Amino acid sequence: MSAHPTREEDFDLYALGALEGDEKRAIESHLAQCAECAQKLAEARGRVAMFAFASPRVDPSPAVKQRLMAQVRTEAGAERAAAAASTLRRAPERAPGFFSGWRAVLVPAFAVLVIATGLLLLQNRRLDIELAALHAAAEQQQKQLDEAREAADLIGANDTVTVSLAQQPGQPQGTAHVMYNMKMGKLMFDGEVAPAPAAKSYQLWVIPSDGKPINAGVFNPVTGHADHWMMDMPPGLSPKMFAVTLEPSGGMPQPTGPMVLMGKA
Amino acid sequence: MPSASSPSVSLLPWPVLFFRNPPGYHDAYIKEGSRHKLVSSDSGTDQRASDAALIERIVQRDQTALAALYDRYAGMLSSVLNRILRDTQAAEEILQDIFFQLWRDPARFDPARGSLPGWLMVIARNRAISRLRRHNPAAGDELTQVAVASPFNIETAAAQNQLFGRVQGALENLPAEQRAAIELAYFEGMSHSEIAQKTGDPLGTVKTRLRSALETLKRNLHAQAASTT
Repeated sequence: MSAHPTREEDFDLYALGALEGDEKRAIESHLAQCAECAQKLAEARGRVAMFAFASPRVDPSPAVKQRLMAQVRTEAGAERAAAAASTLRRAPERAPGFFSGWRAVLVPAFAVLVIATGLLLLQNRRLDIELAALHAAAEQQQKQLDEAREAADLIGANDTVTVSLAQQPGQPQGTAHVMYNMKMGKLMFDGEVAPAPAAKSYQLWVIPSDGKPINAGVFNPVTGHADHWMMDMPPGLSPKMFAVTLEPSGGMPQPTGPMVLMGKA
Repeated sequence: MPSASSPSVSLLPWPVLFFRNPPGYHDAYIKEGSRHKLVSSDSGTDQRASDAALIERIVQRDQTALAALYDRYAGMLSSVLNRILRDTQAAEEILQDIFFQLWRDPARFDPARGSLPGWLMVIARNRAISRLRRHNPAAGDELTQVAVASPFNIETAAAQNQLFGRVQGALENLPAEQRAAIELAYFEGMSHSEIAQKTGDPLGTVKTRLRSALETLKRNLHAQAASTT
């Protein structure tokens, strides 16, 4: 460490700003290393500062304080505004924090929601299928109900005509009835016939008073089971005879095979 | 109020009382309050508050604390600023800015490192001389951490008024050439060689004059301070 300044006034001269060149550099390099001398310099600054009181007393105009305090109020307002703006700027940053805080709850909840949605969709689909089946069953039941009602109506009507169809000699065994009502335009077949030979079907025909036989249904009986159906009759049709023939499988436009059952209207 | 014979003041050794200005000294001084009570003609809480307490209130953004410090020291600073600049408008600009900087950054003054009025006077002189010499320092920032130990209590208007008289008297008692050298150095910011150039005297002579003047002032001012304690 460089030597302490040899004279006390060196600190005052330095504080006064009178030292220059080597003298100034020497004391500065020493002051940087010597706390004792730094304290002496602080005291010297205090002494030199007192020379300010050698000035004639001049009080500032009251306007200076007014300007200062106005400046301070403006600054304080700006500080408050900056603090408020800082709060506002921070606000969006709170959103991720908020959600991250709830992540432990929200993520599992979301997973449960997805699974539940999937299950509900599956259940919904199954219910849709069941509903469609129920619809179909209902329609079927409605259709059967309608047919039963129509059959009941047909059977119960006074003007319904019942025709028994008799087995023809040398033909498969069987018996059948046809009921029809001209006014209602309905025809009902009910019969039990021996199963048709391979590649053959039975076919019912309405034979009108004039004109060609009209197809009234193709059927392939199973042993022990009756066949039963209703159909609409063409309006204005006047049946003369009903006949069941044996036709190639699926029926023919016009009768081609032997007459198995026959009844006159 | 505590009694006027508070031992915490009267038992302080005078070098500590007048030269060291240790941390907490002003607080203790004002709390015990004996001498303050004798010299103070002010009233109100802010007038009695210590510099350190007012600085702390400024840190807490208390505008009345800044106003109290302004009332306490603006006259003293205005005097030296006007003496250096001889320009009322420039002096008032710097005065306002010194206190505004104190408001913006009160932490620049560390009460533990010395006297607030001493520090303010060092800043005021530095700013004024920089303006006078067309220097452009960054608003006295280089003085932020400068420690200034004031040998006098100058927190009250009465104490300051006493000092105006004492220091002016001490300078008037100097030989004219010594007084001129001191004034050129302090109020004009001149170095040894600049004073020599200005006065036409040899550099060594100027150095001797300044040194003698400082020695005399130190002795006289501190003798006066000690005698009035």
